[in-house]
Amino acid sequence: MKEIMAVIRQDKMNATKVALAEAGIASLTAQKVLGRGKGNVDYQILEGAGEGNEAALSQLGNGPRMIPKRMLTLVVPDDKKDTVLQVLLKVNKAGRPGDGKIFVLPMENAFRVRTGESSDAALDEA
Amino acid sequence: MIMVRAVIRPEKVAPVLAALMDAGFPAVTKVDVYGRGKQRGIRIGDVHYDEIPKELLMVVVKEPDKQFVVDTIMTAAKTGEKGAFGDGKIFLSRVEEAYTVSSGVKEL
Repeated sequence: MKEIMAVIRQDKMNATKVALAEAGIASLTAQKVLGRGKGNVDYQILEGAGEGNEAALSQLGNGPRMIPKRMLTLVVPDDKKDTVLQVLLKVNKAGRPGDGKIFVLPMENAFRVRTGESSDAALDEA
Repeated sequence: MIMVRAVIRPEKVAPVLAALMDAGFPAVTKVDVYGRGKQRGIRIGDVHYDEIPKELLMVVVKEPDKQFVVDTIMTAAKTGEKGAFGDGKIFLSRVEEAYTVSSGVKEL
């Protein structure tokens, strides 16, 4: 089992849900999150601060604001992992910084609360 | 790669984010969460609170950087010199793959 965590743009949420449902992956959890990436970082300031430049040091820390994003969490059997990744990348890839990140983590086990089923049987079959 | 998840005090978010930025780890995701710890929440007078507001920060870093990032968060999130109950927890988990959506490239 794999846990796939994807941080994507808010306005891609609907398209992503539809595309995942069409690919046979209906279940997901979504959260409103705030985040920042390396995109908006001024590396000149970072470098300047590293060299001990006073003016650069004073600008540190008030850097890029946290940007609202949507975070999807999906738990899928190993063989569905690639499908999910393909769908997520296809729908969300606009080629611009800020499109998001996808992380794949191992997941030990899963249980369906209603029946007590565990492992792959607890995951939704479309 | 390692995902560092830190549950910290809401008032410590700004210092931690600044510290991470200065340390060269700008990429962070933040979620509002509510939780209790092993003190079973907090009791003020007759009222028992066990859903205490916290912030969850998530940072994914390369294996060699993990201790540095943990130390950075720990130092910035501590209350006073010694720390106090409720300062939070830091969890590490393994990340097998990471993709940048804009390029589709499989790397951090």
